[in-house]
Amino acid sequence: MVISKEENSNIILYLPESLKEALEVISREETIILSGGTDLMVRRKRPSGLIPRFDKNTIFVANLAELKKIYTLRDYLHIGAACTFSEISNYELIPDYFKIVIKDIASPAIRNVATIGGNICNASPAADILPLLYALEAELVVGSLKGDRIIFIEDFIVAPGRNVLGSDEILKEIRIPIVNFNEYYYKKVGTRKATAISKLSFIGFINVEEDVIKDVRIAFGAVAPTIVKSKKMENELIGKNINNLDEISEELIEDYSDLINPIDDQRSNKNYRKQVAVNLLKDFLKLK
Amino acid sequence: MLIDEISKPVKRIDVEDKIKGKTEYLADMHFEDALYAKTLRSTKARAEILSIDIPRLPEGYYIVDKNDVPARNGVKIINYEMPFFAEDTVNYIGEPLLLLVGPDKETVEELITEIKVNYKELKGVFSIDESEALTEVIYGKDNCFIEYNYGKGDLDKTEKEAAYVFEKEYTTGYQEHIYLETQGMVGTYENGRVKVIGSMQCPYYVKDAVVDALGFDYDDVQIVQSNTGGGFGGKEEYPSLIGGQVAIAALKIKKPVKLIFDRDEDIQCTTKRHPSQIILKTFLDKNHKIIGVDADVKLDGGAYMGISNIVLQRSIFAAIGVYDVENIKVRGRAFATNNIVTGAYRGFGAPQSFFATEMHMEYMAKELGINSLDFKKKNLLKKGDLSSTGGVFREDIVLPKIIETIEEMSSYSEKYEQYKKSDKYKGVGMSLFFHGGGFTGNGERDIIKAKVKLKKYKDDKVEILISNVEMGQGVTTGLRKIVAHALEIPLEDIIYANPDTDRVPNSGPTVASRTTMIIGKLLQNAAIKMKEEWKSGEEIEILEKYKHPEGFNWDAEALVGDAYNTYSWGANVVEVEVNPITYEVDIKGVWAVFDIGKAIDAKIIEGQIEGGVAQGLGYAGMEVMNSKEGRLIQRTNTDYVIPTAKDLPKIHNKLVNTPYDYGPFGAKSAGELTLIGAASAYAIAVQNAIGKTVSQISVTPELIMEVIKNDKN
Amino acid sequence: MTKIKFNLNNKEVSIESNPLRRLLDVLREDFKLIAPKEGCGQGECGACSVIIDGNLINSCCVPLGNVNAAKVITIEGLVDTKEFNILKEAYEDAGAVQCGFCTPGMIMASYALLTKNSRPNEDEIREGISGNLCRCTGYDKIIEAIKLASKRGDTVW
Repeated sequence: MVISKEENSNIILYLPESLKEALEVISREETIILSGGTDLMVRRKRPSGLIPRFDKNTIFVANLAELKKIYTLRDYLHIGAACTFSEISNYELIPDYFKIVIKDIASPAIRNVATIGGNICNASPAADILPLLYALEAELVVGSLKGDRIIFIEDFIVAPGRNVLGSDEILKEIRIPIVNFNEYYYKKVGTRKATAISKLSFIGFINVEEDVIKDVRIAFGAVAPTIVKSKKMENELIGKNINNLDEISEELIEDYSDLINPIDDQRSNKNYRKQVAVNLLKDFLKLK
Repeated sequence: MLIDEISKPVKRIDVEDKIKGKTEYLADMHFEDALYAKTLRSTKARAEILSIDIPRLPEGYYIVDKNDVPARNGVKIINYEMPFFAEDTVNYIGEPLLLLVGPDKETVEELITEIKVNYKELKGVFSIDESEALTEVIYGKDNCFIEYNYGKGDLDKTEKEAAYVFEKEYTTGYQEHIYLETQGMVGTYENGRVKVIGSMQCPYYVKDAVVDALGFDYDDVQIVQSNTGGGFGGKEEYPSLIGGQVAIAALKIKKPVKLIFDRDEDIQCTTKRHPSQIILKTFLDKNHKIIGVDADVKLDGGAYMGISNIVLQRSIFAAIGVYDVENIKVRGRAFATNNIVTGAYRGFGAPQSFFATEMHMEYMAKELGINSLDFKKKNLLKKGDLSSTGGVFREDIVLPKIIETIEEMSSYSEKYEQYKKSDKYKGVGMSLFFHGGGFTGNGERDIIKAKVKLKKYKDDKVEILISNVEMGQGVTTGLRKIVAHALEIPLEDIIYANPDTDRVPNSGPTVASRTTMIIGKLLQNAAIKMKEEWKSGEEIEILEKYKHPEGFNWDAEALVGDAYNTYSWGANVVEVEVNPITYEVDIKGVWAVFDIGKAIDAKIIEGQIEGGVAQGLGYAGMEVMNSKEGRLIQRTNTDYVIPTAKDLPKIHNKLVNTPYDYGPFGAKSAGELTLIGAASAYAIAVQNAIGKTVSQISVTPELIMEVIKNDKN
Repeated sequence: MTKIKFNLNNKEVSIESNPLRRLLDVLREDFKLIAPKEGCGQGECGACSVIIDGNLINSCCVPLGNVNAAKVITIEGLVDTKEFNILKEAYEDAGAVQCGFCTPGMIMASYALLTKNSRPNEDEIREGISGNLCRCTGYDKIIEAIKLASKRGDTVW
């Protein structure tokens, strides 16, 4: 492992060569975990030519081989936390809906560097990959020297920018249970068609057999402090006839509306975000 | 290569190095021992500065402020009201207070955070409405930087005779240039002379500003343009401020001083397009002929007037659009606010006015239940008609042919009918507009007085010596073509270096779409003269001075007569589909047809058209910049968005030219015309798609949703 | 401070520096390569684009520490190649350059696109340059240039 001490500061930078080395460091001290850099290098940037402000010891994990594996095993898709969005998209067994979501993330150059782990741990309400992961009920494998533990994605992020990682833990892998859906629906509404932050996003998966809803997942991004998904409401849809949702639709929309609490900001306003989120939900379920 | 057919495209002279990455812009250039400068800026929109507490500075670090301005702490931009460094008050968030200068960037950045400014906040004014209502008097007696009134005919009589009256207000917002290369200047002082190098459109504007600031002899100030990565008007007058600041700093410290903005600072502090509120009250006779217009144009001038008076002039002269109206009354005011200073931007007041006029025509047609294109055609200007200021349109106005051409290219009328019946949100819109070429009225004759020089060397190479700059618009190639053609020598034998005021005469600024038309003509004349005297192996120098064409009359006081000597004309058609779920606009097609007299290079003109239309579409639909209590809400490149390659379709374009006698090969103004009409065409297409009226830019999905839901008119 | 070794424009290089430095600054200041430019410093404009291990990347977002053992290419490393010259001529002939500030980044994006997809359609081209902002051209001629380079470089890409 390479250790870099900087003159004029107490900051130590770690460039581990294995996951074990990385875990040893973070078990001892509180560090900033730096992956691709597309978020941290921008958020912490300083004027041109000056080094970005990393005010704590920092550990570089983007090139750790153990975090870059991507494979399918027994009904689970496993994606290493340091896999870039391009690498994920290029994986030969990646489902189409992954590619579609990834294609709307930023720009080609950003996708070549930004990692799924970074996007998750950054925990922005507008994070592009989160609605998909919530909808698929992804599981996160979190590791430390003490061992691994599994955290469900919906338990991992507790507030904008805040996740439950202990200071001695690192996100290792994302496990996604592969379920068959016969339809999916995704829309990201950005400020423009590329290289855009999400104003809001919607993802829906549905499995219908003989007009009966067998499974349905619905998630909204950027319209609340964290991703909006409700197992309770999804369960209410299960067993219903897809062509006959009128009786529950009003209540359904009202219940989701209660969860959808967007804000006014420099990109959009809450009325727009809320209305369009509801429009997308209705379009997905073919409600009137 | 010899130039025979002037419009035939050639490989642009500057592109090989640009493609290879060898072209040096200011940030790429090395300046030995240059000190780094950082600006301390006001965090208050309006306040008195009670005191500034500066920490003890280490050796080699300096403060440069109002006390260091040797002669005059006022930037020469029409008047001197904007200081280089704030005196006792600040009038906008971001106003420069001082520079902190030193050898180590890290240290400068650290030291500047230790400076404490003690303000006494004053009540500010943050919109045209507030300024007009005088909620606080911040400038003069009425918060007006400038007011103009002009008219013709008898509007009072018209009011009594009119069969129809339509009145409506239209609003437009800010636009930021986002030239890819941010602003920057380097100042040096050597042997009693000050030299400023930087990214700029107007070397002599900067020179005048520096001379006045320092009180130097005119010849002791040298300004050199560095390769400029885009300007669009944003580098017209703003460079005079920062050029002066680095000159003052270099003079004080006796070392080179470098001031180059990062993107965020550039977005937050440099000038923007003027937001506008325009009320049009239009009178028609029973045959739908427009017989009178009463226009009230209001612009947000920001904290200092800058060039708002000139922008206002262009805006009010365009307020009647491309229509022949006998009775006119126009009032224009540029208001002072405590918002960001507004300034030059491609179009210069015309995009705002043409948005209003074209939306208004659509509105009137809709109210009358008639076809808007027929309505427009009925009222179009023709050769011989009088302009809004009573000048004469001396040339053919080929709008009918332009309309015919664009109809054919876009199938506008067919689509218009088709989409009216469609249950999808599909729409098509057409805008018609002009651009008055060059400076208003007698500006060229009485204020600019352009001089150009052509110098032939012993090796038979010829140098163009002018103060106009290449900033991407292609003049470094276009002007060389004109000279090469007249002299019948190879293009490669023409030299045209970035202007250095030590070497070039003052041919005026690179603004108002004047460079090809006016300077190109002067160079052509000079070249023709040189050809007559040509002797191989000998040196010749030709000086050519601007001569105002005969027969044009302009009363600058009353604003009567020929505001412009010539006009370029255009039409845009935009086709859109609006997503009924997200209200996002998909631009399906864009067409642009222009009369620019003659293309000095067909590909360069196409590039200008495509770029100008793209900027206009960005202005129309996505470039949102709001301000609250004087603070910009969209403050970074992430939040202020301009179109990417995925946001635009192909921009189809064609030229339908009528030559201008006094332009080279008949060429007229092109650069700004290309942006002026896009926003209204877009807005009209959207309102046709959704069946509801739109009367403001930006036409965002948020606005579209609001309009659809509220049935707002 | 630590030693970071990588391949820059086909030459093995080594630099002793802070691994948190932006690659853009290292390239411009230490290696005097001016083609990658700072247009925004936020990964939004693409003027700083370089190619790392075959992928188009915004060098303003990459810390030096992540470049260890990687293969980095800037325009300066491409100028003598057949591919670059095809692109250069295509850009010249199409009239795709105006102020030139976005151009090095656009060329990198074009190169990255064509080396992965030698016959892109218009949508794919627009996608390939969607992270490179241009304020002068409206993109039409850049797209034309890439189409031209694709056609002319039939056997090369």
